[in-house]
Amino acid sequence: MGKKNARQVEEVSGEPNMSPMIDCCFLLLIFFVVNASQITVSKDPSVRMPAAVSCSELKDAKGCVVVNVFTEPEKMTGNALKKYKENYPPGTIWGVSDGSKNIGYAKGQEQQLTEFISKQKEFFKSKNMDEKMIRLYLRGDQDAPWEYSSGAIRCAAAAGVTNIVFGTLPSR
Amino acid sequence: MARHKRIQTEEQSEPAMEISSMIDCCFLLLIYFLVATSLVSEKKLDVSIPGSAASAGPPPPLEPGRIAVRANGSVFWNDEMPVGDAYNPDAKQGTPEYHDQRYMESLVEALKALADQAKAADTTPIVMVTGDVKTPHQRIVDVMAALAEADIHTVGLNTAAQE
Repeated sequence: MGKKNARQVEEVSGEPNMSPMIDCCFLLLIFFVVNASQITVSKDPSVRMPAAVSCSELKDAKGCVVVNVFTEPEKMTGNALKKYKENYPPGTIWGVSDGSKNIGYAKGQEQQLTEFISKQKEFFKSKNMDEKMIRLYLRGDQDAPWEYSSGAIRCAAAAGVTNIVFGTLPSR
Repeated sequence: MARHKRIQTEEQSEPAMEISSMIDCCFLLLIYFLVATSLVSEKKLDVSIPGSAASAGPPPPLEPGRIAVRANGSVFWNDEMPVGDAYNPDAKQGTPEYHDQRYMESLVEALKALADQAKAADTTPIVMVTGDVKTPHQRIVDVMAALAEADIHTVGLNTAAQE
């Protein structure tokens, strides 16, 4: 009788138990879903972000008009320079994305950048978003001259966007 | 006879849910988020430009503070008091030299004093930041961090006229 039971137990333990692996998998999935940044699409690898000693968490990217401000191509290296050349025409200072493609604006194209920001503002307004929530998210390269960053801010102000968010990385 | 026996065996087996396709989907999502997620997430510094309506009204009861950032990155409070050294792009993160350069203690103190004065006068503190056209963006962000630490968010941003 006892012999029979032992044989039954051996037969059952032959199958691997998948449930702990699935549990781990779900936990990892939840972790990465929570950590995934909402503005992943608009992050440009050609911009070396500045670091700030005291900055706060970017919890909600809703209503952010993202403008990347590049430094001179001579100061870029490696992948940053490669991506810049691939994605934007020569002379681009301000890089934006309309969701489907990258658009680059050079010096002298401030009017076009203002129009782009105005269009984005209208788009957010059409989604019933509060005007205070519509912000310029300035992703400036740490070496970009202030002339370039202030140019983007002027365009945003001309488009009626007066709330500016400076994108940074935490300083270690 | 054999067929009858097989049917009976199938009926007796316990019903099991097919979860392999769900696990496949789960793994695909996991791989997607692994690739898409950058663990060092971006932070922010909020600034609000004083509106044109406010500037058209009566002058603010408290004189706005003035910060000037020169082309070499040196920072001055109210045009005369030096509060930040020239910018050194080669300073390595994590070193005391890097922290000393980024964190402008005397500027933070001056800004906190301005914020306290504004609070006493029941008004919003305003600071005008003027940067040279060639000032590195990093140095302006350092000034913004000091403003954020002093809890000042209404900031006028100007560019110094080229000589």
